[in-house]
Amino acid sequence: MVGQTPSLTTFLKSLKQNDIETSIELFISLLKRRQIKNSRPCAIATTHLLLRVVAEPKRKWDAQKLIDRVGHVGRRLVAAQPREMAVGNIVRRVLGVIREVAERDEDSLTDSEFSGSASPITGEFKQRPGLPTRFSEFSPLHGAAAMPHNMHSGRPGTADSMNVEFGGTPQRPGLMSSNASYAGQGPSGTSLFSILQHPQGRSPLATPPTGTQSPAMGPSPSRRTTGGEANEKLDIKAEVIDGIKELQDELDVVDSQIAESALDHIHSNEIVLTHTSSQTVQKFLLTAARKRKFTLFHAEAYPNNHEATHATILNGAQGEEEDSDERWKPLTSLGITVILIPDSAVFALMSRINKVILAPHAVLANGSLLAAAGASTIALAAKTHHVPVVVLSGVYKLSPVYPFDTDELIEYGDPSKVVPFEEAEFMNKVDIVNPLYDWVDCDLVDLYITNLGGHAPSYLYRIVADHYRLEDVDLNAKQDVAVKKG
Amino acid sequence: MAPKARKTGEPLEAEETLQAVIIADSYEDRFLPFTLERPRCLLTLANTPLIEYTCESLASVGVQEVFVYSGNHTDQVETYLDNSRWTKDTSPFSLEVVRSTSTSVGDAMRDLDQKGFMKGDFICVYGDVIANIPLDAALKAHKARREMSKNAIMTMVLREAGEYHRTKDQHHRRCFVIDPETDRCIHYEQVRPRTSPRLNIPEEVLKDHVEIDMREDLIDCGIDIYTPDALAQWSDSFDWKMPRQDFVHGVLQDFETFGRTIHTHIVNEGYAARVNTLRAYDATTKDVVSRWAFPYCPDTNLLTDQSYQLQKGNVYKEDGVVLARSSTVSRKSVLGRATSIGEGSVITNSIIGRRCVIGRRVRIENAYIWDDARVGDDAVIETAVIANEASVGKKCHIKRGALVSYGVNIAKGVTVEENTRVTKLKRKRGYDNDEVCRGVTDPTIVGEGGEGFQLELDEDEEDVYEAVLAGVQDMDLMVDGDEISDFASGDEEDEYEYSREPTSRSGSFTSIASDESGETKRDMAKFHREASDSIFDGLQRGQDPDHIQLELQAQRLTENAEDSQIRRAVAVAFNRRIANLIEVGRTAKEAVATAIPPNQRLIKACVKEAREQAEFLLFLQTDLVHRAQGSKVLLNVAFVLAGEDMVDGDGLEQWWEDPRSSASAELEKVRAETKPVVDQMGESEDEEEEEESDEE
Repeated sequence: MVGQTPSLTTFLKSLKQNDIETSIELFISLLKRRQIKNSRPCAIATTHLLLRVVAEPKRKWDAQKLIDRVGHVGRRLVAAQPREMAVGNIVRRVLGVIREVAERDEDSLTDSEFSGSASPITGEFKQRPGLPTRFSEFSPLHGAAAMPHNMHSGRPGTADSMNVEFGGTPQRPGLMSSNASYAGQGPSGTSLFSILQHPQGRSPLATPPTGTQSPAMGPSPSRRTTGGEANEKLDIKAEVIDGIKELQDELDVVDSQIAESALDHIHSNEIVLTHTSSQTVQKFLLTAARKRKFTLFHAEAYPNNHEATHATILNGAQGEEEDSDERWKPLTSLGITVILIPDSAVFALMSRINKVILAPHAVLANGSLLAAAGASTIALAAKTHHVPVVVLSGVYKLSPVYPFDTDELIEYGDPSKVVPFEEAEFMNKVDIVNPLYDWVDCDLVDLYITNLGGHAPSYLYRIVADHYRLEDVDLNAKQDVAVKKG
Repeated sequence: MAPKARKTGEPLEAEETLQAVIIADSYEDRFLPFTLERPRCLLTLANTPLIEYTCESLASVGVQEVFVYSGNHTDQVETYLDNSRWTKDTSPFSLEVVRSTSTSVGDAMRDLDQKGFMKGDFICVYGDVIANIPLDAALKAHKARREMSKNAIMTMVLREAGEYHRTKDQHHRRCFVIDPETDRCIHYEQVRPRTSPRLNIPEEVLKDHVEIDMREDLIDCGIDIYTPDALAQWSDSFDWKMPRQDFVHGVLQDFETFGRTIHTHIVNEGYAARVNTLRAYDATTKDVVSRWAFPYCPDTNLLTDQSYQLQKGNVYKEDGVVLARSSTVSRKSVLGRATSIGEGSVITNSIIGRRCVIGRRVRIENAYIWDDARVGDDAVIETAVIANEASVGKKCHIKRGALVSYGVNIAKGVTVEENTRVTKLKRKRGYDNDEVCRGVTDPTIVGEGGEGFQLELDEDEEDVYEAVLAGVQDMDLMVDGDEISDFASGDEEDEYEYSREPTSRSGSFTSIASDESGETKRDMAKFHREASDSIFDGLQRGQDPDHIQLELQAQRLTENAEDSQIRRAVAVAFNRRIANLIEVGRTAKEAVATAIPPNQRLIKACVKEAREQAEFLLFLQTDLVHRAQGSKVLLNVAFVLAGEDMVDGDGLEQWWEDPRSSASAELEKVRAETKPVVDQMGESEDEEEEEESDEE
């Protein structure tokens, strides 16, 4: 009798044996059952799964097919657990990789065959302006299941124009000057400018509904030379696989990269407050502790994370392996004073604290974040006492989602953690809620440290634009296009 | 990371597959009238069929092979599962629906043993279990024990739940006596309601164990881990039916002889419940909606086509719900896709399925409305179940505990009283198989133009308590206090309903021997059931009366039964035989003539003196109250008995004068026709006496 409860480890193991569809279903049910949860495991599982999808043997992809396929799988994953945003982020990143590969390919082809004017990149830009309209109304939970999405497509033009203005304004400072040079830049850079371009560039009313124009990624095969075709298709697969492997590498090193900047932020004899048992934060603090002495207050994040937090303080953070018992050294072994406090004591202690370090569950496009419950209290207390709040987050946690309804982003867990199941009298008469996450607004955060360096919250939109293609922001929107085309 | 992880896992262990059995049929009647049409495991809880939760629970444990046993409605279960994701290639386990003719869990287990599906230890659950308990620890502990001793044949997984819990079975208080050192269950008993909580713990138990825990605070959710050896046990004892009352009890009793042990695994984290009564249905739905069963909440969208989203106050809505602007949906409600709620309607604490149409100014509280139901304007629905495609007219009032079954149509302005079960179908009791057929519409219940009739709670072997959907506590008290006392409180144990077989009428027995203590009553009821069953069987097969007598004697000795019990059993068995014959189309007279004279030795053996005769007649009479043509049968029986000298005038007279024989109007009615016989017998007796005296 095995009796092995499925987890990330078993999932990764089973990936090799199962066929792709089974793996996808398995991952979906693991997400639903919360047997894979939190950003990092989700991100790791998603990269592995998508790698399998792309590397599917005996399948030859052209760019558009691959985008459709990954997009389709991605939508199912996101629908399974929309609150694990890392899944959607990784899917978007992979889609971005595919597009990039396709464009590079396209460039070389068109350069040789056609001269300039009908560049598919410009073609692609033409259909971009429509997308922010989705952006603004997009919510991660919207259409959480395989609901027919044709309700999107029949949107009247007036609504579009409203949304264009709305979606366009708040986060885009005018950087119009660089318009002229965009054609020469790499795709990730150009996408930013394309956002900026459209409000002036075109009359919103003239904007055709998004779906009508196909994303010009996949040029019609007829335009290709027959000789190049086979080569190119092989290339796409291989290149995308490389891209995904790079993503996996990024996930592996993200904590160390963040930790590199530890010494810039933690100074001698500072008093730091943190929360939850985040690996990223532990690594960051460990790096600082090797050189400097500081005092750490650790809020325990009762009731959902306190056990892990206690274990982290006593025995050190758990290593990379989810199931292994291998642990890092605890901070105390490096001579750091660690004081464990209940979440309720945060406000009382805040006046003594120099810096708050938080680990988010997800970071949203406007610089606000979701973190384990209790983070909001800490951030608000810090604001009151003018204590800087530093958030450590890998870029994979950064989501292009804009928080229109923050309530629906928060997941509610098992109330038995708050009131034991045995307390029947009580639970009969009282509704008990156990929110797993808090939403922290962007003005409560002073600095984000990602694996790319430190950023102000107001700058995150830029990183979002660098990492995600606008076409991919709303994964469900893709379906409209596909439906229209089909 | 993957290769590293592989190193830590034990590759040898991974060879064995984890198997599980789902007992999808409950072999019970507690969800009548809904289970007439659908198996219990396909009833929806928070708009998801129960078996989905069960399969999901098994998948989350890492089960690789599942066998589904289903007795009733197998086709439906099979069709459902064939179309579900559990039988697709992508399913986490292989699933097989096993067809069997089982009429109890015991039968299913024996069948399983015969077919030899089980290669190793396996998990056994019911098709109505909702659990998020990780079973790793239980499996590990079970395995460790197995390695220590081959005799540890079973582990029961139990959830700690405190003294009172809505999800716990309040009626049948299951008591586990456990040795905390070894987690061994050394005694199991159910405390009957309103009896003094008293356990019959065998002496050896107290001698052998230094420390024992007596626990009554556990939810028994029917998750068991069996060994193949346990299956053999089931096979050895062909009359075991229920895993607890028979199996656990039997194995524990035989501990001295065979040394087999049963263990418990008590968890105090996670959720586990069985939806085995309507009350449990109510409680479990509340748990699921208020997220106690997390992650099995509506917004997890277990089914692929679901799209529930959580909103404030634990309100779950699927896409495409139409709410009128002035309607209110307040806390702990679930609304399925394409359901529309009219102006000014208020919905609280209720589950509403898909495609329901709720009219204007409707008030729905604590109700369960399944798919495609319609509720007219100004209707009020309190703690009730409205099944699929049922329709409730305008200005109707559905009171607490009412059950409105599939397709029933309640006409405009009708009030459905508390705890009424309205249905369109009924079960016709046949000898071998019951068939489900349409009943005749009763306008007093559903109003003019309505469809449906009231399903009487004639299941006398059924505990009323079990059948009641009680949302609130005061309701329980009511049921506990008066209603139930009319019915069989000394009746079968928990799951002991012989759901497809008309059996004991012990309900009537209570009025005769109501001074008995609960404990004896239970023994008596058990004896009575077994004895009357076996006599009935014998009669049915036309066995030699001596043979039947011998068997009866043996039963009597094992159970240490009193003579009056035997009389009662005999009386009931004969009545059943007669009723059976009448159903086949004989007249009462013919039936009696066929049943009694050939077997008169049986009656003579237990009925001798006048007092006994009177008692025997009383048993016959009380039992016939429930039977078709009761009074006619009684007349004929009395006539035959008198004619064959099995009773004499004294006996008849004593019976006639006994106040118990005329205690109620029904009893009066039944015996009314028999009066001439009594009179005649009395007279002839008198005459005889006179003659005798004359002669002297």
